[in-house]
Amino acid sequence: MTQAQTSENGKMPAPRKGGHLFQAWLVLLLAVIFGACLSAVHVSLSGRISDNKLNESLEKIPELIWGGMKQGAPPDQASIDIAPGRIAVTSGQRTTYYPVFRVNAEGALAGWVLKAAGQGYAGKVELLLGLNPAGDKITGLFVLGQSETPGLGNKISSPEWLAQFAGQRTAAPLKVVKGGEPAPGVIDAITGATISSRSVTGIVNRAIGETRGLLTPEQMKLTERSQ
Amino acid sequence: MMANLPTPMERFVQGILPENPVYRQFLGLCPTLAVTNGLKQAMTMALAVGVVLLCANTIVSLIRNLLKPHLRIVVFTLTIATFVTVVDRVLAAYMYQMSKTLGPYIPLIIVNCIIICRCEVCASRQSVGTAAADAIGQSIGFGLALASIATVREILGTGTLAGFQVMPDSWPAWVVMVLPPGAFMTFGLLVALVNWIDSIRRKSERRG
Amino acid sequence: MDYLFDILLISLSAALINNFVLYYFVGICPFIGVSRQVGMAVGMGSAVTFVMTVAVFLSWSITTLILVPGAPLSSWVAGFFLPAEQAAAIDMTILTYIVYIFSIASSVQFVEMYVRKFYPSLYKTFGVFLPLITTNCAILFACLTVMSNIVGVENPEEAWDLGRALALGFFGGVGFTIAIVIMAGIREELDMCDVPKVFRGTAITLIVGGILAMAFMGFTGVDSGIRVAVTGAP
Repeated sequence: MTQAQTSENGKMPAPRKGGHLFQAWLVLLLAVIFGACLSAVHVSLSGRISDNKLNESLEKIPELIWGGMKQGAPPDQASIDIAPGRIAVTSGQRTTYYPVFRVNAEGALAGWVLKAAGQGYAGKVELLLGLNPAGDKITGLFVLGQSETPGLGNKISSPEWLAQFAGQRTAAPLKVVKGGEPAPGVIDAITGATISSRSVTGIVNRAIGETRGLLTPEQMKLTERSQ
Repeated sequence: MMANLPTPMERFVQGILPENPVYRQFLGLCPTLAVTNGLKQAMTMALAVGVVLLCANTIVSLIRNLLKPHLRIVVFTLTIATFVTVVDRVLAAYMYQMSKTLGPYIPLIIVNCIIICRCEVCASRQSVGTAAADAIGQSIGFGLALASIATVREILGTGTLAGFQVMPDSWPAWVVMVLPPGAFMTFGLLVALVNWIDSIRRKSERRG
Repeated sequence: MDYLFDILLISLSAALINNFVLYYFVGICPFIGVSRQVGMAVGMGSAVTFVMTVAVFLSWSITTLILVPGAPLSSWVAGFFLPAEQAAAIDMTILTYIVYIFSIASSVQFVEMYVRKFYPSLYKTFGVFLPLITTNCAILFACLTVMSNIVGVENPEEAWDLGRALALGFFGGVGFTIAIVIMAGIREELDMCDVPKVFRGTAITLIVGGILAMAFMGFTGVDSGIRVAVTGAP
């Protein structure tokens, strides 16, 4: 420590005025170099990252449309064409955008997948909802993200509980019952996690209600893959 | 020159247990409690911190003679923030699910006291080789500490270890272990355990 | 009315339900290190609240005005060099973390100058902690939470405005203060107890912190309950 101090006192210190910017030359140089590195990282990786985000949903779509119905084999993978887009829902002055995927197989419309979100018991819940081409039957449900209580509320992600939604008609809102048997129009709540179960069903009901009649290729605005 | 600065080997060995960043210096406690509810998350975090620490130590050591005393914190922060951004983007590109699980705790590496402390204490004063050895030693120590807590929390909390079922199916998972209270208490008990081992070791040293 | 309700829920959530210290584990270092006396804890908590509010204001402004794709300032400046569509798509979010940490450092400097000028006695008491706040995870965490509600949202209308961001910043600091003051009160009592030798110091603090975290877990679900009670829908 003392050696450094004496060497600093031995040299004549540069005049303070105008010396600040000069003294910061190292910081500025590093800023430029690091800025260039970060730009390179951004350019090379941002495409991959947005693809990852999209693939999270895309991977689940075949299972959502064809998995729950258990009728026949799903069509050939190569003939499945999925187009991402948005549907605008206007209520009053507010416009909400629902991300939606139009699923074609072997040239014909095979179904729709909606991304819906809402408040769960302990945090935000994000869902992927699969519907048949006419939009009047649920073909599958998948939970993309949730932060419910481990061991209780987070059972909403379990395939066994979500299987109740497959095959349900969408004409009337689904009801949640405790301790009942799975039946058409009725969802059996998870024991000890009624609020989480009600939240998921509420999000599904609201998504179906708000996009009723809007699930047509004309209403859907296609989005760029990079967005 | 100051002849009593530690050698690279000493820096490396000190970082693992004697000067363990978590159990001895109590630095970087935020990720220690936050990501240790699973062994995979804990190891990914330790790897991320290790990479950032190594890169930051190396760069700071290379430019240590150009650092002005009153601007050195700015330089440290800029370097660390850049490397953390790079690590965050690389994780999001190649391990997307893990990046979502770790969430905001990767960018919080920027204010992780371990890295700034090592830059200040070691990298800004010693050569590149020593700084690198110090970084690797401290990272191994950090990884060991995280692994110890994560093992306890994951096995008791979910019956699995890194995803593999370890406990029998009849084990009632102690869910509180993967929740915040479990994090605090597990870490507190482990710190007490380390203190106890240390006191026994010192007693036997005094006797022998 | 809707807006005020939203602000209320964000504030409750930041202060009590998802308390920064006891749920998100940020700000642990001062929680364990500074919480020995209630007076000091209150001072530290107020300083952190003040800095957090200023830092969140700065980071919201910079993110919304400069960093996001299509931000007003960056696309205006880029409009001089690039055609309009490319200028509107300039994405500077890669610089987010660097910008945030330096705006936090600036906020701390600003708060330090302010306290030194207007409250010199206060500055003497806890002035040494102020520079340490820069490395407090809680402040950066608040800025990152605000960022995640602006940058990644599907609906551009749901991106947080300044009011929600400030509510999170201020009440996050309030929650931090609550946690640290409770801990300080407990530790003042603990000093008179007979703590086993291996637990003295950090270990017993952490265990008490765990019990506190368990107590705060009782607040889970309060916000969804209020939401159901007021709006009638989950």
